[in-house]
Amino acid sequence: MTLEMKGIYKSFGANDVLRDVSFTLNGGEICALLGENGAGKSTLMNILGGVHHADQGQILLDGKRVAFQTPADSLKHGIAFIHQELNLVNDLAIYENMFIGHELRKKNRFLDSAAMIAKTNEVFKKMDLDLDPRIMVRDLDASYKQIVEIARALLMEASIIIMDEPTTSLTEPEIRRVFDMMNTLRKSGVGIVFISHKLREVMEICTRYTVLRDGNMVSSGLVSETSVDMLARDMVGHDVRTQSLRREKKIGDVILSGKGMTLEPHFRNVSFEVHAGEVLGFTGLLGDGRSELFQTVFGAIHGASGTVEVEGKPVRIRTTGQALKAGVGYVPRNRKENGIIKDMSILENGTVVTWPRDSKMGFLHSKKIEKDFDDLEKELHIKLGSAKDLIGSLSGGNQQKVVLAKWLDANPKVLVFDNPTQGVDVGAKEEIYDIILKLAEAGVAVIVLSSEAQEIIRVCDRTVVMFHGSVQGELVGDEMNEQAIMRLATGGQV
Amino acid sequence: MNEKTNKKGFGAWFRDNWKNNALFSTGIALIVMVILQTLALGFNYASFGEWFGAWINNWMNILRNNSSVGIIALGMTFVIISGGIDLAVGSTLVAVGAITMTLIDAANGGWLGAIGLTGAPAYIVAILISIAAGIIFGGLNGLMVTAGKIPPFIATLGAMKILRSVTQQFMQSSSPKVPTGFQQIARVKVGGQMFMPILYWLLIALVLYIVSKKTVFGRHVFAVGSNEKTSRLSGINVNRVKLGVYALMGAVVAIAAVLQVSRIGAMDPANAGSGYELDSIAAVIVGGTSMSGGKGSVVGTVFGMLIIAVMNNLLNLLGVPPFLREAFKGAIIIAAVLLQRKSSDN
Repeated sequence: MTLEMKGIYKSFGANDVLRDVSFTLNGGEICALLGENGAGKSTLMNILGGVHHADQGQILLDGKRVAFQTPADSLKHGIAFIHQELNLVNDLAIYENMFIGHELRKKNRFLDSAAMIAKTNEVFKKMDLDLDPRIMVRDLDASYKQIVEIARALLMEASIIIMDEPTTSLTEPEIRRVFDMMNTLRKSGVGIVFISHKLREVMEICTRYTVLRDGNMVSSGLVSETSVDMLARDMVGHDVRTQSLRREKKIGDVILSGKGMTLEPHFRNVSFEVHAGEVLGFTGLLGDGRSELFQTVFGAIHGASGTVEVEGKPVRIRTTGQALKAGVGYVPRNRKENGIIKDMSILENGTVVTWPRDSKMGFLHSKKIEKDFDDLEKELHIKLGSAKDLIGSLSGGNQQKVVLAKWLDANPKVLVFDNPTQGVDVGAKEEIYDIILKLAEAGVAVIVLSSEAQEIIRVCDRTVVMFHGSVQGELVGDEMNEQAIMRLATGGQV
Repeated sequence: MNEKTNKKGFGAWFRDNWKNNALFSTGIALIVMVILQTLALGFNYASFGEWFGAWINNWMNILRNNSSVGIIALGMTFVIISGGIDLAVGSTLVAVGAITMTLIDAANGGWLGAIGLTGAPAYIVAILISIAAGIIFGGLNGLMVTAGKIPPFIATLGAMKILRSVTQQFMQSSSPKVPTGFQQIARVKVGGQMFMPILYWLLIALVLYIVSKKTVFGRHVFAVGSNEKTSRLSGINVNRVKLGVYALMGAVVAIAAVLQVSRIGAMDPANAGSGYELDSIAAVIVGGTSMSGGKGSVVGTVFGMLIIAVMNNLLNLLGVPPFLREAFKGAIIIAAVLLQRKSSDN
């Protein structure tokens, strides 16, 4: 089957997400769809999958014009969309998952398990797959779950399969297994769209590519005629390298270091050091393990091997309370789940870390707590009505500042910021950068975890780039630019 | 728009509090209950003094009869705010009560008598040992929940079965007598009324109110109940907080056990304290504490307990058949939760 998407336009409100994008896919090929977050990849594929509707443009299947109203419509035409969050029920067997919503029944209306198992085996045979359909999905590793999703697509007689970042949560051998399966399918004439950030994988598995940037199609062609460098530049655009915000640096002694830190499957053999007054970046793509690494350092995740030293002395941090005592702070990602306590006031959210310090015999020293927060409120320009209001009354940016406040009040020697500007507006973003830089100037060792290359380039002195849980490289000062970061983050070399 | 919000009338003020302040709505409900109860008691008395005496008498009965569950409900408030539940309180009460009585048994001198300890010193030691036992029982629940990672409902359901069963087996061949001196702890009269259980209840309520509002532990309980993950990432030792909550629960139950032994002078291992777990949970819920944790108050629980108690009394005064009274209790629990959901949705 041949798919053609021609002149697709789509906007959400005033926001143009796709402008005149075209995309083609032939049976028996794997086409990479590339682009940064927000480039429009997902929207384009959601239009193909019947989730969204294009404002303009047409979709042709074997030259015939089609229109999809719902995902079911699109599936009926042989297009299956395998989302990043797999759509399987862990507590059901493989064959039950295969037929979920389309269960086969006997004449007496009871489920016909034998027929479903037989049908599943038939599909597995076509895929050259040796797997018992009665195994519970829970007992499969991530790659087999991915493969069950593919099998389900084939059961529905899909001839085009869209795979959204299928390798993100897979280990190396698991990726091999999925790739082998994709090649088997390709040879049998199925067309696959491979959405990915990982250019090395694209070079290996795909035949063609299309790059989107800011809703425009930037380039498209044969993978054999391009390189990781060229793809990275197309994804990022040419006008990279924004002005760094760092002015003067007074870099002191090593404050925090980790050696040979390993916690499968998240990260392995990672070593790093950060000095007083330095802003060290840790970047990479989703699933690179940086967040788990620093939650381990902070005592929130257990079971890792390797050593951590604070100011040259080995420490064993088993709880977050011990981390706090050792002078290590961690501003978490996902503010709503990890950063705020929704039933508590702004004041309490902004001081919870330092309650044990600001108390006597277990009784809170409320005057000091209120004064400390008052100072921080002014320093961080937190806009609030009354500090006694619930935290939910604040905007995202101000909530994030309250989360910062509770750590600033603790005066840590090292402060880790995990995705510090997630879900805050542009103005608050700049203010948070200022806070980070001010901390460094005051001699704190700062670590910024971010997947935004721009952010890393602008605030950090140095950055470690991770790929699949390992350190792929380190960039210092002017070496940091979006292409270099993207190359390392996708598994390439500088 | 500003003018409108500045000039709030009574109606707007009332609506605002009714919706956003759980204590306000439970307080109003309590006042309504008390008015109804006062009306039901009637004014058919020779003088105001006589009426007032009867009114006070009635109230003393209500408070005294509910003091044990009322005390337990205070500890339960902490457990539920922390995001847990404790079904073992009734069985813990009977187990601790058995320990107390065995220590000071008047029939054969008890364990303390055997080592030569009698009278007031024995009572003090017995109370301290009982509270320690309560803390240990509660702490074991806490360990199951934290170190054992067993859901609180299941851990304490298990403890409930074990404690009652073991206590019954242990007590089947002995029926200790409570010395009259020990009974004075609860029975000593103030102004002609057996006032002490009420006093202990109010005292514990006051202490736990302060703990909930003014101490690091108290605020940590709220933080952990509202968002465990954020709490952990804010340097709070979540397991230690939970352990503390169950240990506190055990201590509070032990105090209730000592009072009950002293007040009643006996304890039936098969029936004493049974149903206390659900009655105390009901008081906590009616008092506006959220079952999902993070929200609630000690004062609310006192109100909740009183609402249920006064309603019981009201039904009694109105001559509603005893079998039907539980139905009203059930209805008020459901009504309280419906009311609270409305206020949190808006």
